[in-house]
Amino acid sequence: MKPAVRIQQEDFSQDEEIRALQASSKRMGGIATFLGCARDFSEGREVSEISFDAYGTMALSELNRLRDDAIEKYALLDARIVHRIGTVKGGENIVFIAAGAEHRVAALEACRWMIDELKQRVPIWKKEITPQGESWVTPHP
Amino acid sequence: MIKVLFFGPVAERIGSNQVTVAFRPGIRLQDVRDELAAQYPQAFEIVCFAAANGEHVRDLSLPLADNSEVAFMAKFSGG
Repeated sequence: MKPAVRIQQEDFSQDEEIRALQASSKRMGGIATFLGCARDFSEGREVSEISFDAYGTMALSELNRLRDDAIEKYALLDARIVHRIGTVKGGENIVFIAAGAEHRVAALEACRWMIDELKQRVPIWKKEITPQGESWVTPHP
Repeated sequence: MIKVLFFGPVAERIGSNQVTVAFRPGIRLQDVRDELAAQYPQAFEIVCFAAANGEHVRDLSLPLADNSEVAFMAKFSGG
């Protein structure tokens, strides 16, 4: 089975990640997921691709810590996080987060918390590539 | 020797992903930052975070050991 936390160039399968999460415990009563995708339009400009740079070793250890923190904070049974780097075209997948808990509230809250924390804590940067040129993205609150 | 890493928008402004700074006993993360910010002021305008050996550092008075790996980073925009 693939590790629960990964940074990779290639696309991922949501079904495969959810199956892996479900396989971790039969006590799981709720799974919440977040899928982040590449928009083909941003700030009034057409975006053809998004390119990601990351401090790979630190990003992976921060993502693992984030998963551990979420499991502890929300008493999750398991959680998975996959983030792509390299170049992603408009409409393609960027990040997948899944949280599994005994009940839905913990799963939903943990999933929201993980994507919000990921944006604050994990050293990954995105650059939008448009017909007019390239620009690094300024984070949204 | 202290290895200093740059990524994304900071690397682009510096024109490199990595520089080295000579180690001296007692050197702190703030000293490395000051030295590089004087050399690359445009890049350091957007530096918001620092890391040492892969861990976030908020107190730049952190003393560095020889062969440390540090990073000065812009706001993250993953996800």
